[in-house]
Amino acid sequence: MRPVKTRLEEHLITEEPYYLASGREIEIAISAHKNCLPLLLKGPTGCGKTRFMQFLAWKLKRPLITVSCHDDLSTSDLVGRFLIRSGEAVWTDGPLTLAVRAGAICYLDEIVEARKDTTVVIHPLADDRRELPMEKLGELLLAPPEFMISVSYNPGYQSVLKDLKPSTRQRFVAISFDYPSPEMEAEIVCREGGVDKKLADSLVKLAGMTRSLKESGLAEGASTRLLIQTGQLVRDGIDIHTACRAALIEPLSDDPELLAALQEMVSSIF
Amino acid sequence: MKLALLTERFYDLVAPDIPNEWDLEEVLEFLIDESDPTCEAILGHIPIIWPVSHSLCLDFLRLLPKTLEHLSLEQIPRWIGITLDHYETDGLRTAQRFMQDDIEQYLSKLKGCGGLSFTSIEKRLLPYIRGIARNDLQIGQAGTSYTDTTSIYVPEELSFSTNNDNNFLLYKYILTFQWGFIACGSFINKAPSEFSHIECDKDTLWLRSFFAGFEEPLLARDIYHSLESIRVQSFLSRELPGLIRAAGTYIFPRFASSITEHPLQALQQTLLTTNANQSRLLDHYLSKKECTQYLLGQASAYDSIKNSVKIFSRIHQTNSEYIPISPLPFQGILKLRAVETARKIREQQMGEQFVDMMAAYLLTLSKKELDILHKQDSGNKGLAESDISMIMDSEFAQTADREKETPILVTINNEQLKLPAELEELTKNFLDEFGHLPTHFCSSAAGKAGQAMIEQDVAGQTEKSSQQTGTLLYDEWDYRRQGYRKNWCSLHFKNLPPVYSPFIQNTLDKYHGLTIRLRHQFEMMRNQERFVKRQREGDDIDFDALVESISDSHAGISASDRLFIRLQRDERDIAVLFLVDMSNSTTGWVNNALKESLVLMAEALEVLGDRYGIYGFSGMRRSRCELFHVKHLSESYGEQVKGRICSIVPREYTRMGAPIRHATSILKEIDAKVRLIITLTDGKPEDYDDYKGKYAIEDTRHALLEAKTADIHPFCITIDHQAKDYMQHMYGPANYIFIDNIRKLPLRIPEIYRVLTS
Repeated sequence: MRPVKTRLEEHLITEEPYYLASGREIEIAISAHKNCLPLLLKGPTGCGKTRFMQFLAWKLKRPLITVSCHDDLSTSDLVGRFLIRSGEAVWTDGPLTLAVRAGAICYLDEIVEARKDTTVVIHPLADDRRELPMEKLGELLLAPPEFMISVSYNPGYQSVLKDLKPSTRQRFVAISFDYPSPEMEAEIVCREGGVDKKLADSLVKLAGMTRSLKESGLAEGASTRLLIQTGQLVRDGIDIHTACRAALIEPLSDDPELLAALQEMVSSIF
Repeated sequence: MKLALLTERFYDLVAPDIPNEWDLEEVLEFLIDESDPTCEAILGHIPIIWPVSHSLCLDFLRLLPKTLEHLSLEQIPRWIGITLDHYETDGLRTAQRFMQDDIEQYLSKLKGCGGLSFTSIEKRLLPYIRGIARNDLQIGQAGTSYTDTTSIYVPEELSFSTNNDNNFLLYKYILTFQWGFIACGSFINKAPSEFSHIECDKDTLWLRSFFAGFEEPLLARDIYHSLESIRVQSFLSRELPGLIRAAGTYIFPRFASSITEHPLQALQQTLLTTNANQSRLLDHYLSKKECTQYLLGQASAYDSIKNSVKIFSRIHQTNSEYIPISPLPFQGILKLRAVETARKIREQQMGEQFVDMMAAYLLTLSKKELDILHKQDSGNKGLAESDISMIMDSEFAQTADREKETPILVTINNEQLKLPAELEELTKNFLDEFGHLPTHFCSSAAGKAGQAMIEQDVAGQTEKSSQQTGTLLYDEWDYRRQGYRKNWCSLHFKNLPPVYSPFIQNTLDKYHGLTIRLRHQFEMMRNQERFVKRQREGDDIDFDALVESISDSHAGISASDRLFIRLQRDERDIAVLFLVDMSNSTTGWVNNALKESLVLMAEALEVLGDRYGIYGFSGMRRSRCELFHVKHLSESYGEQVKGRICSIVPREYTRMGAPIRHATSILKEIDAKVRLIITLTDGKPEDYDDYKGKYAIEDTRHALLEAKTADIHPFCITIDHQAKDYMQHMYGPANYIFIDNIRKLPLRIPEIYRVLTS
């Protein structure tokens, strides 16, 4: 099927994405892939879950198909549907089917955002059956050994309505992600943000301070992603105070007192 | 307004209380000549102050004529707010003093010329310093700045500059500088090898004994303090260069002029100058190498000890008495006794934790292990207290080698026992900070473990006779034995007599704007409207479905008839129980805020249509844990319920396990998609008997785990400042929230509920 091929090629990662391992997560993921086990990544926002998946896909030389989940995502959106093309009904694969057929890695980002009835569709794929029933086509698609399903979520969110069902949860090999150690984080910020080591160290120090404010009302501290973005602004010539304000402080909170406290930290460090 | 009318209004406002008529007439007398709106405006404050303190309320009225000379009616509410703040933090006397004497000061502050008070910026600086220090430092207020390593004390007010930005900067610098002493390890407690001859008893900080050995201890202390300040500043200039830069521009020049002739003040001056000058000034006291060490941040507190001795011999004049120099405001003073006290408290807390954990560990040892350990094959029938004491008649081995990261082992009758990881870490932390592990810890742990054993036996015998009618018995989790104490706690159900007071109406009036907003928000939640596609009937054609259906039929598959889009209101199916802490500690504002929150919450939930119940809990001892009915799940929110909300008053203790278990059993019977238990509390679970500390936390945690197992989500809203330590453990990381300002409680609770369920 030609069109499928073109679409898949887009998902193949040819250049090595930058990823600095903080534990044995790469080993675990490769072993999970080898044993046809699905993967669950959990961790705070911006700590490198998606980047890890890109790296894994590159390492395993499999295409990576990412689906960002939302509450309007339907089973058809994942599996596929008939479309009319020049008066003919043509079946079009959804991203999940596409990944199964091609033996790719399907990554469902923020899975808890999807409705529970939608997430159930991955159940038969995520256990030892490894099959995808396609009701419309009357087909049962068996996943090749290369296929891998991976989901991610952030356990820090407080809504009780957004939690994984135990039946979904208990199918996965789970890897817990957290922010990297200060040295590693500085290295990442240096490299991705394009700033010098000294600035990266200071940014990481600032992030550490914000992360210890959880009890003072900050839902989540500054993520590695925010640090990188701040670094990028600085690299483009924006002064550090403005860059921190725009890319690091304001995205964290709307509480004026907390914002002021964060601003004081910035002015102390830089 | 006539006096009789005024008195009558007053009685209405404070019902069911009946204050003395004489008192009232005396304080209300001056209102007779005031216009009706003025009287109403003033009486409007009564329901705010009266529930907090009756005598404060009467004082308010008594002093009002004088107050009104200075303040306008519009300024009164804010002034009352500050008075109540004083009452909450420092008690009645301070609040009365504020009302009586401080009006002018308050006015000058209002005009912005009275300097900067710390209270006005605390909210900004507390998270700041906690972020910088990365722990839960507290901030207190004192005449001169200092730290006791747990808290940092700063002056109540700063007016060193007419520009409050500079005053703020100085506050920030004081806090950071004092934290610097902690971070740099200035309060040393281990004698360096050269000074090991200085004797020091275990309750005294070594540093204090060191100073006491000098002919002029105060001079020695100030030299050390100055050297350490230089070290702290060089540490800060590396860690927080921005702060030092700002201080160099706005703070240092202001103090540079006040330098006088004392040799020590030259040392102080190094804190106010740039690097080049610093080494020139230090040259007088230290060798070139030592100077560089200090300025590059390579010196340690031990270097300061050595250099203090050297400098002391140089500047000490035997014939004249040393008059302590005044420190720079950010330097503050060294209060070593305060550090000792804070240390003792910490030692005690960690000690209690150790004893608890050790006792728990002893109880988990299997009989076989114990047999090996005490080598007395005298037919063990469980562990009696004496046996354990014998076993624990031991000492900790290898404490001297702890730096080598060897595992800590307990040697008992020559048998070595490896401690569990958690206990080992605690022991290591303890040894690191305090240098030794008192032997009485072990015997206390043994005693505690032994007692738990005896209690288990006794409990078993007395249980049968303790059943009462109208009550339910609940198990309690004993973490020490990792099992339940069966039917341990009896939960009595009580009805709160409804009280009809204007509280509800006043609350609704007070939060009028908020109530409207909440109603609107909650209405939006109820009307979670969304378009549902693929319906058999609906308002519009679902184009996607239509195309699909046509293509399906083209492909020879039977086409779907679900071709419409319909606007659907999402059905909420939520049942929630609020458990309200009615312990004694909620007296005053807390209780009021809790009740106000309940009123707002109930109003909002009525709009939303979620099923909800409200229960209060309190009690004393396991034999009388009480659950007060305010509203059952199926009950409607009427006058009776409102009356019961009004009658929520602080009672006794906080035994949380049983009420949570009961709430779980209620919700288990309810068929709802989402079932929630929301606990509103102001502190740790604690009862009069042994239900405190780890036992209480573990039992509560277990009760919550039972709820979770039954697919019920527990959530806690707390105002306890120490909440972090145990909340996460009890509820899990994302299942509690800490509200630091009680006043915000009524605003925050509905908001939290909204986030939680949408």
